[in-house]
Amino acid sequence: MIEQLNQLAEPIGAIVGFVLTLMVLSYIIGDNVLFRLAISIFIGVASGYAAILILYNVIWNQVLVPVYQIFTTGKAGDLLSYVIRVIPAVILGVWMMTKLSPRLARWGTPVLAFLTGVGAATVIAGAVRGTIFPQVQASINILNTQTAPPELSKLVGWFINGLIVLVGTITTLIYFQFGMKRQEEGVPAQRPVVLDYLSTAGQGFIVVTLGVLFAGVYIATLSALIDRVRFLWDVIARFF
Amino acid sequence: MTEITCPLCGKPNPPDRDVCQFCEAPLKTSGFIASPDDQDIFTQIPTPSSQPDESTEPGDQPESTSSLEQAIPDWLKQTEASFLQPSEPESEEPAPDHISEEIDSLLNLVPTPSDEQKPAIDDEWLASLLAEAGVGELAQETLAAEPLQEAMEAEETGEPGLTSEELSEEEGLLPPAELEKPEWLSDMEASSTIKLEGGMQPSESLHIEAPAEEKAEKKGAEQVEVPEWVGKTSFGEKPPTPKEPETPIVPAEIPGWLEALRPSREEKVSPSKPVEDISAADIVTAGPLVGLRGVISAHPSAIQARKPPTYSIKLRVTEEQHARVQMMEELLAEEQKPKPLPSKPILTYRHIIRLVVAVLLILPIVWMVVSRSQQGPSPQPSNVPGVVEFAQQVQALPAGAPVLIAFDYEPGFSGEMNPAISTVLTQLASKNAYLSLVTTTPSGPALAESLMKNVSAGALAASSAYSNYTDLGFIPGGTMGLLGLAASPRTVLPYSLDGKDVWASEPLNTISSIADFSAVIVITNDPDTARVWIEQVGPHLQTQDRPLLFITSTQAEPLIRPYYQAAPSQVQGMVAGLAGGLAYGGTVGSPGQNGLWEALSISITVSILIILIGSIVSVVFLTLASNKKKEDEERP
Repeated sequence: MIEQLNQLAEPIGAIVGFVLTLMVLSYIIGDNVLFRLAISIFIGVASGYAAILILYNVIWNQVLVPVYQIFTTGKAGDLLSYVIRVIPAVILGVWMMTKLSPRLARWGTPVLAFLTGVGAATVIAGAVRGTIFPQVQASINILNTQTAPPELSKLVGWFINGLIVLVGTITTLIYFQFGMKRQEEGVPAQRPVVLDYLSTAGQGFIVVTLGVLFAGVYIATLSALIDRVRFLWDVIARFF
Repeated sequence: MTEITCPLCGKPNPPDRDVCQFCEAPLKTSGFIASPDDQDIFTQIPTPSSQPDESTEPGDQPESTSSLEQAIPDWLKQTEASFLQPSEPESEEPAPDHISEEIDSLLNLVPTPSDEQKPAIDDEWLASLLAEAGVGELAQETLAAEPLQEAMEAEETGEPGLTSEELSEEEGLLPPAELEKPEWLSDMEASSTIKLEGGMQPSESLHIEAPAEEKAEKKGAEQVEVPEWVGKTSFGEKPPTPKEPETPIVPAEIPGWLEALRPSREEKVSPSKPVEDISAADIVTAGPLVGLRGVISAHPSAIQARKPPTYSIKLRVTEEQHARVQMMEELLAEEQKPKPLPSKPILTYRHIIRLVVAVLLILPIVWMVVSRSQQGPSPQPSNVPGVVEFAQQVQALPAGAPVLIAFDYEPGFSGEMNPAISTVLTQLASKNAYLSLVTTTPSGPALAESLMKNVSAGALAASSAYSNYTDLGFIPGGTMGLLGLAASPRTVLPYSLDGKDVWASEPLNTISSIADFSAVIVITNDPDTARVWIEQVGPHLQTQDRPLLFITSTQAEPLIRPYYQAAPSQVQGMVAGLAGGLAYGGTVGSPGQNGLWEALSISITVSILIILIGSIVSVVFLTLASNKKKEDEERP
C-alpha cells in the first residue's frame, strides 16, 4: 500500500506543481485570483512546514529525546551535560515567552537583552575577524608584486585588475566621506574639487556594482523561468 | 350625628365604632375630631360666637353677672360699649360651618371673666388718680398692666390664667394711639397698595372682641356722662398722627451700617410678602387636616394615582415641510451612493507591453527547451571563476571522508542551482563521502532529502539508494548557531532528523569541531548567509586548512567573489549560477545541458534587446515631448 502511495506521490506532485506553476505564471496578464491563491498556498505550506520542522528538530530532538536517552542509558555524565547545556536554554526560552503577554512583556526584557547582546557581539566579532581584517589585507596585497604572475600577458591583466580594484575601493570610500573643513560664516561649505571628482568616480563604481547585482538577480530569475518552462514541458511530455 | 368621617381616609363610619373600618385609624381619640362629649365641653365655653345678639342688643345682659360687675359705674360700662361697638361689622361675615366653628372655638379660647376680682372703681378715685398722674397716661398704663398682673397672679396660685394669646388679646384692647408706630412704617402703610379685605384700619388690626359681659358693661356705660378728657381718649378715635406732639424720645445710637439698611423717609418700601387672605379658601373636610382652611388636603382622593394623559408624538408637518424633507432625503441618498469607478478596459497599453515582453522571452526559451538544442558551446570551467578550484578540492577529498553540506537556499532558486548541486553530490557520492546535511533555513531539510533522492535514483543510476549520509536538520540560532556549530557540532545538533545519535558511530565519532570535517560546502542564494558562514565558520576551517566551498546563485556571486579572490582566499572554491553548474558538470563529464544554456543565452540576448529598444523608444518619445513642450512655450 505504501509502495503504491509512493508511486502515486510523484505524478500527483508533478500535476500539482504543474497547476501551481501555471497559476503563478498567470501574473503575466495581471494580478488575478489564481495568482493570489497560489501565493497563499505557498505561504501557508511553508509556514506549516517550518513550524513542524522546528518543533520536531529543536523541541523534540534537542530537548526531549536527550532526556529519554539519558534515562534509557543511565549515563550520569550525559545527564550533567544535558543539565548544563539544555536546561538554561529551556529556562531562557520559557522566560522569553513572557513577551507574548503585554502584561508580562517587561519580564522578558532581560532575556531579550541577553540574546541581543550576545548576538551583536557574535556578529561584530565575526565581521571583524572574518571580513574587515581579511579584506583589508587582501586589498593591500592586491598589487603586491610578489603575487604577480610571471607571464607578461597575465601581468597586464593582473595590473589592470588590481588598479581597478584599488581605484574603485578608494573612490568609493571617498564618496562616503561627507566631512568637510569648517568655513567662515556665510560661506557655503564645499568639499575640495579633487574630492568631488573622486567622489563622482566612486559613485560610478557604486552604480556599476549595483548594476552587476541587478544583472545577477535578473539572470537568476531567468534561470528560474527556464527551469519552470522545462518542468512544464517535461510534465506535458510525460502525461501527453 | 349619624356617622363619623374618618380623619385619615375620609370615609364614613358608624357612630359606634372607635376605629375606622377602612383604615383602622382611631376615630374618637383623634386630635382634630372631638367626640360628642368633647364637643359638649367646647360648647359650654362661652365664646363670642356662642353668645348671639349680645352685640346687637347691649341691653340684654346675663343675669349671672357678679356683684363686682354690678359695682362698675354705668358710664364706664358705656365707655366700654362704645369701644367695642366698631367690632360689630365682623359679625356680618358669613358664619362658618359647623367644623369651622369648632376650630375657631379651639383657637379663640375666651378667658374666664375676671371681673369679680376687679376692685370697685368710683369716680372720685379715678378722678384723683388721673389728676395725680396726668391725663391719659395712668389710665392707659393701668389698662395695659392689669391683664399681665392677673396672669402672674394666676400662675402663682395655679389657677387657669390667661395664656399668651389671651394676653395679646388684652393688649389688643389698648388704644392704637399708645402703640408707638414709627413714622417710616406709617408712610409705608400709606403707600402700600395691599389692603386687607374690608379695608382694615390700623385700629381694627389690633382689635379683638371682648367677652360678652364686658360688651354689656360697655354698652351700659355709654348712657353715663363721660368726662370731657375721657371722650377725647376713647378707643373709637383714630390713632394720633405722627405729627401730633408727643413726648420726645431720645433716639438710640444706631450703627452706620444699620442706618444704611434702614429705609429712608423718602423711600417707599413695600412689604416683601403680601398678606394672604384665606377667608375664601376651602375648608378641608377629610383627612388629618380636616377643618383647616387654606391648606392642601391630604385626602387620598387628592393624591390618587391617575393614568397619565396620552399625548401624540407624531410630528405634525405641513405638506410643504414634508416635500422639503423628501427633497433633502433624495439629495442625501444621492450623496451616499458610491459612484461607480470607470470600468477598466481588459487590454490596456501596459497589458499589451507586458504580454509582448513575456512572449518575447518565453517563446525562445520554450523553443530551446523543446528542441534541447546544444548547438552553442557550454561554459568552460576555466572561464568561470572558482569552478576549477572547486573541482580540485572535491577531487582531493579522500574516499569516505566526512563532508558537511549546508542546504541554505530557497526552493525558488533550485532551477539555477540544482545542476551544480546534483553534479557535486554525484561526484561526492562517487567518492563515497559521508555527507552530513545541515541547514539554517526551514526549507533546507526538504530540499536536501529531495536532492539526495534524485542523486540516488538518477545520477548514480545505482540499484540501491545512497545511504552514506545523515541529515542533522535545522540549526537554530542563526549567527550564534553557526558559531556553536563551528565550535562543537555535536552539541548544537546532537541527533539526526530521524532521532539517531550519529555522533557515536563512524565516521562522525571522530568529529569534535567543524574543522574535523574534510570539507564544508555551503549551498546558498543569499549573500548575507554566505558572509555569516565565512565569518563564523571560515576562521575555524582555516586553522586546519580545511576548504570552504560555495555553490551559490548568480545574484550572490558578486558579493562572495571578493572572499574567493582575496589573498589568502577565504573561500577555496565557488560554483555560481547556471553557468557555473554547467561548467562544473563539464569537469566531471556530466551529460549535456539539454538546452538550458542556449535558453539562458537567448533569453539574456532578448532581454538586452528589449531593454535597448525600450530605452531608445523612451528617449525618442521624451525628446519629442520635450520639443513639443518647448514649441508650446515659445508660442505667444
